[in-house]
Amino acid sequence: MTCHPARAILRELTSLMLIVHSRDVALSSAEARSMDANSELQFLFLRFCLTDKDMFQDDELVQEFVVESAAHLAQVEGQLLEIESAGENYDIEIVNTVFRAVHSVKGAAGFLSLTVINSLAHSLENVLNMIRNRELSVTKSIVNTLLRSADQLRILVDNVESSNEVDVSELVSQLDAIYSGQPEQPEQPEQAAYEEKLETQLDHALEQAEQNVAAMESEVPPYSFGDEMQSSPMQSSGDVHEQFGQESTSDSPEVAESVVPHPTAPTPKINPVKIMEKTPAKNAESTHVSGKNKATDSIVRVNVAILDRLMNLAGELVLSRNQLILAVSNGTREGLEAIASRVDQVTSELQETIMQTRMQQIGTVFGRFPRVVRDLSNKLGKECVLDIEGDEVEVDKTIVEAMGDPLTHLVRNSVDHGIESPEKRKAAGKSAVGRVRLRAFHQAGKVCIRIEDDGAGMDPIRLKTKALEKGIITVDQAGTMSDNEALRLIFAPGFSTAAQVTDVSGRGVGMDVVKTNIEQLGGTVDLESNLGRGSAVHITLPLTLAIVPSMIVGCSGERYAVPQANIVELVRVPEAEMSSKIGTVHGAEVLRLRGQLLPLVRLDKALMLREESDAGDRPKSANILVLETGQMRYGLVVDSLYDNEEIVVKPLGKHVRDLGYLAGATILGDGYVALILDIVGLAMHSNLRNIDLVESDDHAEFRNGDEVHRLLLFTNHSCEQFAIPMAMVARIERIKSSDIRFIGCQNILIYRGQSLPIIRLEQSIAALPPDYEPENLFVIVFRVGDREIGLVAPALKDIRDVQMVIDAKTLREPGVLGAVIVDNATTRILDLMELVRLKYADWFVEENPVYSEKVVETPTVLLAEDSDFFRNHVTRTLESEGFKVIGAVDGRDAWDHLQAIFDEIDVIVTDIEMPRMNGLEFAKAVRSRENTAGLPIIALTSLAGDEDKERGALAGINEYQIKMDPVRLVDAVRRLAGTTV
Amino acid sequence: MNSKHHSNSPSKVAQYATFYCDKSLLGLDISYVQEINRSFDLTQVPLSSKCVRGVMNLRGEVVTMLDLRTLMGLPAGKSGPRNRNLILKCDGDIFGLSVDGVADILTIDSSAITQPPSNLSIAESRLIRGVYQADKSLVMLVEPREVLSASLNLMRNAA
Repeated sequence: MTCHPARAILRELTSLMLIVHSRDVALSSAEARSMDANSELQFLFLRFCLTDKDMFQDDELVQEFVVESAAHLAQVEGQLLEIESAGENYDIEIVNTVFRAVHSVKGAAGFLSLTVINSLAHSLENVLNMIRNRELSVTKSIVNTLLRSADQLRILVDNVESSNEVDVSELVSQLDAIYSGQPEQPEQPEQAAYEEKLETQLDHALEQAEQNVAAMESEVPPYSFGDEMQSSPMQSSGDVHEQFGQESTSDSPEVAESVVPHPTAPTPKINPVKIMEKTPAKNAESTHVSGKNKATDSIVRVNVAILDRLMNLAGELVLSRNQLILAVSNGTREGLEAIASRVDQVTSELQETIMQTRMQQIGTVFGRFPRVVRDLSNKLGKECVLDIEGDEVEVDKTIVEAMGDPLTHLVRNSVDHGIESPEKRKAAGKSAVGRVRLRAFHQAGKVCIRIEDDGAGMDPIRLKTKALEKGIITVDQAGTMSDNEALRLIFAPGFSTAAQVTDVSGRGVGMDVVKTNIEQLGGTVDLESNLGRGSAVHITLPLTLAIVPSMIVGCSGERYAVPQANIVELVRVPEAEMSSKIGTVHGAEVLRLRGQLLPLVRLDKALMLREESDAGDRPKSANILVLETGQMRYGLVVDSLYDNEEIVVKPLGKHVRDLGYLAGATILGDGYVALILDIVGLAMHSNLRNIDLVESDDHAEFRNGDEVHRLLLFTNHSCEQFAIPMAMVARIERIKSSDIRFIGCQNILIYRGQSLPIIRLEQSIAALPPDYEPENLFVIVFRVGDREIGLVAPALKDIRDVQMVIDAKTLREPGVLGAVIVDNATTRILDLMELVRLKYADWFVEENPVYSEKVVETPTVLLAEDSDFFRNHVTRTLESEGFKVIGAVDGRDAWDHLQAIFDEIDVIVTDIEMPRMNGLEFAKAVRSRENTAGLPIIALTSLAGDEDKERGALAGINEYQIKMDPVRLVDAVRRLAGTTV
Repeated sequence: MNSKHHSNSPSKVAQYATFYCDKSLLGLDISYVQEINRSFDLTQVPLSSKCVRGVMNLRGEVVTMLDLRTLMGLPAGKSGPRNRNLILKCDGDIFGLSVDGVADILTIDSSAITQPPSNLSIAESRLIRGVYQADKSLVMLVEPREVLSASLNLMRNAA
């Protein structure tokens, strides 16, 4: 820490005064009075400096106090709430923890002569001591007073410089009244006053939160770090005056009135009527603010073990550097590779460890919500409990901080709009107490946060009507819009779901800002709702913002980085197909992609990289990145595609930061700077709108058709095309063909320290061997039980959503399900399980005995499936495993069967998309009848998204299985057959 | 540490780095100058203001390079072998100025600095704080803060 600027100035002024004084003495030594006046002045200044010094002897000490006290107090709120909810049987240990926290704040405050904090903490401690000794019964009003005191303490600690000016006598006297055992009758009016004050505070907090959310939009540049320093007024030298002003408050309370507590914080529009006199409302505005300017935010606590590791790594780095310098100066190439790999290893470890120091538990944000929910539901007359899971999930500090306000907004929404009043809930047959669930968990290298409630849910029709009224959509659009798309309307700017705008949620800053904020963090947000059953918001966030896996693309001689998270797929349109694949609609270029129209943005045009006359420089073919950002999907046309790189995001300078289409910059391997494109900004820059509609029309077209399966197409010999359902593919690896060894009559690939058995098509089925042996091969890896196996695919073609009309006869053989026509080419669909069975029959045998103990007799399966091909396929699979299968051609047929012979059926397997009665309706029907309600239901599906699964679960489906994965299906049938659910 | 030894107290000696822009000799308080280099690996920033030449990698930091000629209202010059980049740090902002070649470092007493002549162009007069008469030539002393704010203004106007 450097010398406090304000103090430095004071010191300088004092010395100046000394000079003036001595001159005066020299000029008119006779005038004692003048001298007196001067010394008086000087004395005043000295005293100023001294008091200043006394109060803030050491910045570091005060900072430490703030950080530590904030940490102590952060827990108190939750613990008090816990004590309250436990009633009479509260846990003494929790009271002890609260007591200790308050006690240490008191002690430190006393030491730093922070008298107000000290006295409040003292009174609070007294009451806590009584509770600890069970001398006091804990009532709601006492907890209210305790909570308020804890709030006030937090506020005081956050604004430690001015804390001694705050009047807390009201709280102290209330606490003392409780302590001295006075009857609680004065509580009633105070309670009312408190409610009112709480309202004011809530209002402020909300206003502030909303402004923060709004401010974040403009303030926080996506993916940028190092801003904490810049945006903190306390650290930049330019703010001496503000700081001077702030500090002087300790001596001149009049000045304090005119000093804005946080000079750089967005000044909230304070409604003067609402501020109550003599309350610390002035400070209340910062209560729930996740202000970036606070001391607590610029300091990170790091585990010593991590620091030690960093030290070790730094040591190793120095060592490697020395070796490198030596090797370079000797001019020998010998050993250089070893050094390079060492540097590589050390730096990646270093990077990883430094990342760890930035990680914070998301619980620091979640911690505030029990109180938010408690206060809000009290205020709204609702009953509501909050379940929190995944407190311990760690995310980058920046993300944790940035998520505070959007999450608050969402939780408030759940309580305000989601949960109904107790009467309504009872009338709807629900428990009077509403439940909001807040969950965080890791999934596939990302962090997911879910906010779920069991409230009223959202009505798509109402949403559409509202959007129509507000002119957000047209009548035509409303007609074609699916329910899911209707839900997403609440993300549209200017949309608020509350029929009346309450003072709690919905003040103009809505879900659109929440969504933008989350997207700026590189995350996505999605919604789900069941009318009458509740809603859920799914948020997915990257673990860190500092390092972003990106695709490097080239355009007009420059390179740009596009975050991988936004890239759905890469499409290359060869010159010959340009005219057939790329067309124009109303002057806008679009790409025909699998029956959909995808709007195109040409990077060179959008950024004016080429003069119109140079348009001929463009490559003849087109490289298109298909990009997706929540509600938008478009294709970006670039000249060339380079590599995937993990790039380190660097902030941009003032001059280029706000151009709108940039998310930052990065330094590539060759030292050259590449700009990172902001996909949302670029779309807005190019005036891309109404994209949803183009898409939704095409979706509709797809949905009405036959079942769609996503297939991975590849060739073995270049004349023969094969397909594998994508759902079966675990991953695809690119390997050197020389890495496949032939050992013990098997092809084995050694990779990642394991040996992976490899199947070659030409050795298993009637297929031609590859017509050339490329250096690099693809291996499609899939799972059989808990083992992995790879299939050689010399050339991958495409991933397609294909409407399956399967010819199951002509080309059928073991290992081949049948054939479909894709792009006029006969494509054989492989049955991976059969392929494996051909080669490794023993893998399947050993698994069976595990189940056969449980199976008493031949279980009977009722199978509802409209496609003859799949019905026969599944029947065959199940019968070969010893089940009895009764087939039905659709849900209605199956329902008829079931009613006739319900006592014979042990398990139901049903398709979802069927004519007459679909799988969901069938499942609901099954659940509605008493004699069939307990039957386990397995749904078969081709494309199972989470969303489908949740819908299925609501209809009563127990499990989802993928159509072409017989092993899992058999396994599921075995597990569920005969059980009652 | 930021430079805080800038006060208008009488008679103060400071060192100035001098450099060429077109034909004139300019000077900058050396305490603002972080380094002088001659890397020309600039990445163009599309749609940015005219005065932004691009961004470059300065040992891991991405630094914006400004074109002093454009800021002075001069036509863009050709880059030659004498071109250099001055990397400046001013109030926490780091940015670069591309100049047409560097000259000496002069020690100048503030009392020897005279007001700039009134016949400077508007663009020039904003940036220039004073003139120092060296033995053979005149050195126009540039105020880095003004350079920064002028370039930001130019950017906003363009937007």
